[in-house]
Amino acid sequence: MFNEQKLYDEVSELVFRSVTGISEDAKTLIEKALTKETNPTAISMIEAMLENVEMAKEENKPVCQSPGYPTVYITFGDKLYSGIKEMFRKAICEGTEKGLLRPSMVHPLTRKNSGNNSGEGVPNFEIDCVPGQEYLEMIISFKGCGAELGNAMQIMTTAKLGKNLVGLKKFVLETVINAGGKPCPPFAVGVGIGGQMDVACKLSRKAVSTRHWDDKNTDPLYGGLEKELLEKINDLGLGAAGTGGDTVALAVKINGAATHTAIAPVAINFHCWVARRAGVRLYPDGKKEIIF
Amino acid sequence: MREKLLSVPLIEEYIRELKVGDVVYLKGPIYTSRDMGHLTIKDKLEKGEELPVSFQGSAVFHAGPVVLKKEAGWELVVIGPTTSIRMEPYAEMVGELGVKAILGKGGMAEDTLAACGKYGYVYLQAAPGCAVKLATGIEKIEDVHWLELGIPEALWKLKAKKFGPLVVGMDTHGNSIYKELKKKALDKMNDWYKL
Repeated sequence: MFNEQKLYDEVSELVFRSVTGISEDAKTLIEKALTKETNPTAISMIEAMLENVEMAKEENKPVCQSPGYPTVYITFGDKLYSGIKEMFRKAICEGTEKGLLRPSMVHPLTRKNSGNNSGEGVPNFEIDCVPGQEYLEMIISFKGCGAELGNAMQIMTTAKLGKNLVGLKKFVLETVINAGGKPCPPFAVGVGIGGQMDVACKLSRKAVSTRHWDDKNTDPLYGGLEKELLEKINDLGLGAAGTGGDTVALAVKINGAATHTAIAPVAINFHCWVARRAGVRLYPDGKKEIIF
Repeated sequence: MREKLLSVPLIEEYIRELKVGDVVYLKGPIYTSRDMGHLTIKDKLEKGEELPVSFQGSAVFHAGPVVLKKEAGWELVVIGPTTSIRMEPYAEMVGELGVKAILGKGGMAEDTLAACGKYGYVYLQAAPGCAVKLATGIEKIEDVHWLELGIPEALWKLKAKKFGPLVVGMDTHGNSIYKELKKKALDKMNDWYKL
């Protein structure tokens, strides 16, 4: 279905594009935040961020020193090239050799660095078969790990969700306040609700890694919550860099799944402002659609 | 907001004059250290072993650079701050070493704030995620120790020409931007959402 070399070129380009820039949706939201900002420290921080993005682009340099943790989201119809995982591993190692990604993957206990961003389970893959889908979709996301330090997960219950979901809203806000400047604000907040623990966590990461930060949720309940939480989070006054200001969050993205009647798992997942992701849809006839 | 260019080694008297919100730039040597670096320092101190560098009057940057090994030596590609809170358990050790400025992002907690006053060091916030821009303030890499810890965790000695801007996030007078903002934010939340 796909020519091997051509497919590798696409994979390699995705890796290059995602680490040397941020996605347009994030950039547009940051520019918008700058026009509204009133705190002088926050203004200088946001200006530095935008300038940094331009410099990275011009000089073909990594936009941030930390390459984050790579996850590749793939969906396909009836055929998936079996060598695809190896291609992403290879492209990441090549990018590391070129100085585009700092070698940052270590053994979880011995902390030994592999030296080239290879390692068991790296990159992480989420692969889905979508019957009838004509194209192969690949999104690579290098999600920063300072941001991970602010993440939280709770198996809530019917009672804990609270009347008008006040318990849920408080959990999100508390998590944001505790995270403060740690996840490199202005960040995006992913919220995964439902399933069991692992499902909520995966949903929270996927929401913030694969959705455009300026999109609208198709579910009115989740959409309303996203809007309310974003407003409240920014009204907390934490600001860009967490040193005060009007915009600490660029977006709140909620993805859900059905859960068991006994539980209400909620996971909260931060994405730093450095929205390093790139995605394409490749059609069998050679057509190519850029997602990020 | 006051702007200052400080030379490293840093003088405690000048550090104690700084207040949260001040903007500073650094000139001179800067050492990088993060999780494994701090742990290695602690181990060596406990064993009574000598450290490869003196931290007296130093500036320690919570960061791991992107570097390329060239024939002439290490070349800096980019560098920016990592999340500082992970180094909170070393607040006393850092003070005892004579470190006068910590550079990082996201702020630190109570132990560090107390140590800032006790030992006379400050916490400086760098712009997060701005590694290309920040690297322009570094002239070169002067030296590296503990490469066996991996590139991010090694102890890099950088030579800064004008590194910054850095915002004083925690000072020696018991003030922390992060603590203040957190308190205000919690009050707002409890006002909006009552269980």
